[in-house]
Amino acid sequence: MKSKTKTVISLNNISKVYKGPPPVKAVDKISLDIKEGDLVSIVGQSGSGKSTLLNMIGLLDSTTEGDIEIEGQDISTLSDDELSKFRGEKIGFIFQSFFLLPGLTAQENVAEGLLYQGIKREERLKRAAKVLEEVGLVDRLTHLPKELSGGEQQRVAIARALVQNPAFVLADEPTGNLDKKSGDNILKILKDLNKQGKTVIMITHNLDHAKKFKKVVKLVDGKIVA
Amino acid sequence: MKQKLKIVDLFMVALYGVKARRGRATLTSIGIGIGIAAIVAVTGISASGRADLLATLESLGTNLIKASPQAGFFGTQEKLPDGVLGMVERIGPVQEVTSTTQTDLLVRRTDFISEFEGGGISTVVTSPELLDVVGGNLSEGRFIKNGLGEIPVTVLGSVTASRLGITSLAEPIRILIENEWFGVIGILDELKIHPDLDRSVFIGYGVAKTLFNIDEEPTTIYVRSNPAYIEDVVEVLAPSMNPENPDQVSVSRPSDALEAQEAAEVAFTNLLLGLGSVALLVGGVAIANVMIMSVLERRMEIGVRRSIGATRKEIRYQFLLESILLSGVGGLVGVLLGAGITLGYTKYTNIVFSIPLLQVLGAILLALLIGALSGVYPAIKASKIQPAEAVRK
Repeated sequence: MKSKTKTVISLNNISKVYKGPPPVKAVDKISLDIKEGDLVSIVGQSGSGKSTLLNMIGLLDSTTEGDIEIEGQDISTLSDDELSKFRGEKIGFIFQSFFLLPGLTAQENVAEGLLYQGIKREERLKRAAKVLEEVGLVDRLTHLPKELSGGEQQRVAIARALVQNPAFVLADEPTGNLDKKSGDNILKILKDLNKQGKTVIMITHNLDHAKKFKKVVKLVDGKIVA
Repeated sequence: MKQKLKIVDLFMVALYGVKARRGRATLTSIGIGIGIAAIVAVTGISASGRADLLATLESLGTNLIKASPQAGFFGTQEKLPDGVLGMVERIGPVQEVTSTTQTDLLVRRTDFISEFEGGGISTVVTSPELLDVVGGNLSEGRFIKNGLGEIPVTVLGSVTASRLGITSLAEPIRILIENEWFGVIGILDELKIHPDLDRSVFIGYGVAKTLFNIDEEPTTIYVRSNPAYIEDVVEVLAPSMNPENPDQVSVSRPSDALEAQEAAEVAFTNLLLGLGSVALLVGGVAIANVMIMSVLERRMEIGVRRSIGATRKEIRYQFLLESILLSGVGGLVGVLLGAGITLGYTKYTNIVFSIPLLQVLGAILLALLIGALSGVYPAIKASKIQPAEAVRK
């Protein structure tokens, strides 16, 4: 990794304790720098704190201790509304269970990614169609989620994460509910995104998948071990 | 921070929430629908009734006064003093006066019916002017005028006619009064404000005297007065009729009875309105309940929306608007249903159809308000769900 690349996410001794009883320390004093254009995988067994870590990086969860800086901004100074807008504009989330809205078509689901940016509906749908084309679903625009395969649903979810052109893509076990072929396809899409300059962070418990990423962070009991 | 979610988009999002659970939305809004329908129907029917009553009063006139002796302590009727008609006629604003004499003559359809089955029909001896003074109309035949009072003929009140099974005078029909046959020469229309006359048969004074030896001793007098002085006439009527014991004369305005009936209906209306409000309250609670369930079920959706940039406020508005929509749909259906019920009722009872627009608007506003109130708690609950918690696997 070239040293001139700038650090875009900086975790400084962050911890997360879930209030008990008994209190559980899910993440224990983690410090980590992620640079622009990094391709990072976080591995660990279930309960190792990897989802909690990702949620804190993605500003979905607050830290109990420590600071997070994203693009030089100390996020502890942001209000809840500002955090929402930050997520909406800078971070694209991909979830294991896709989390598509069942009553909306693929195109409408993707367009939802721009809903809270103050963009008009036609423009949202137009951009959604474009991103769906990029993930190879140009012929699935009007399909409902239930009419799509798991792999296709995850690609719709990726398109939703990408439609607002985020700087960061955070994926929580994106291949967890998919067969090997679909999983490999999703992995390839994530690597391609990284090549286009996006910073990608993915959680997985599949070591084979993890090894394909440039940087691997291994968690055990809320601590980084490698 | 400025809200970026456009109003029209917020509306679409809320509509999506309602549309995605159509069956449940329908069931949930039924409560509000019933409540609003009850309120609209009740106000519609009572407004229609009022409109109809005004029309009736208009046609009957409110300047009719009725006076009769106060019922005695044991239910016996006191007599009015002799020459009472003349005394009443001398009151300035009095325009018309007439009298009737109540008898206990028994009325039967034929002599096959025993004398003990009178059927609550009374025989009233009347002067020819009665029909004009009380503003009555004949549905068949003619009234006892022009000397017909001297011969055994009779006119039936509307209720009497139907009790005796007489609907037409195409064929000559006779009835028995005591043991004398009387030819029926007329049937009256319903006299809305004189139910006692509807249940009577009328005969003339002449024949009453010759056959039954009944003297012209009025038991009830009917007075039409100049409408401008009606209160004054009411005041002086009793002392004029019986200067020594004015308290033995009972004076009333039949139109008052209608108004009293209307007042009683208002009380009943209020009761129904109360029941409608209870339905609304229950409907509101049902909406709140369903919305809370909905919030719990849709954590995923809330989590996704928060992750793509929704603020708490935007989530709150979404659920609040959804609740208002649910209630609004119920309210709209309720208004249509209530208007339909009112229309059906007015058609059925043949009265004027009238629905106060202001009350309809009020009902819809009320439904929206209930939706808003019911949605407050669920909406706050939705907005307080932590995004990380909502997207947990």
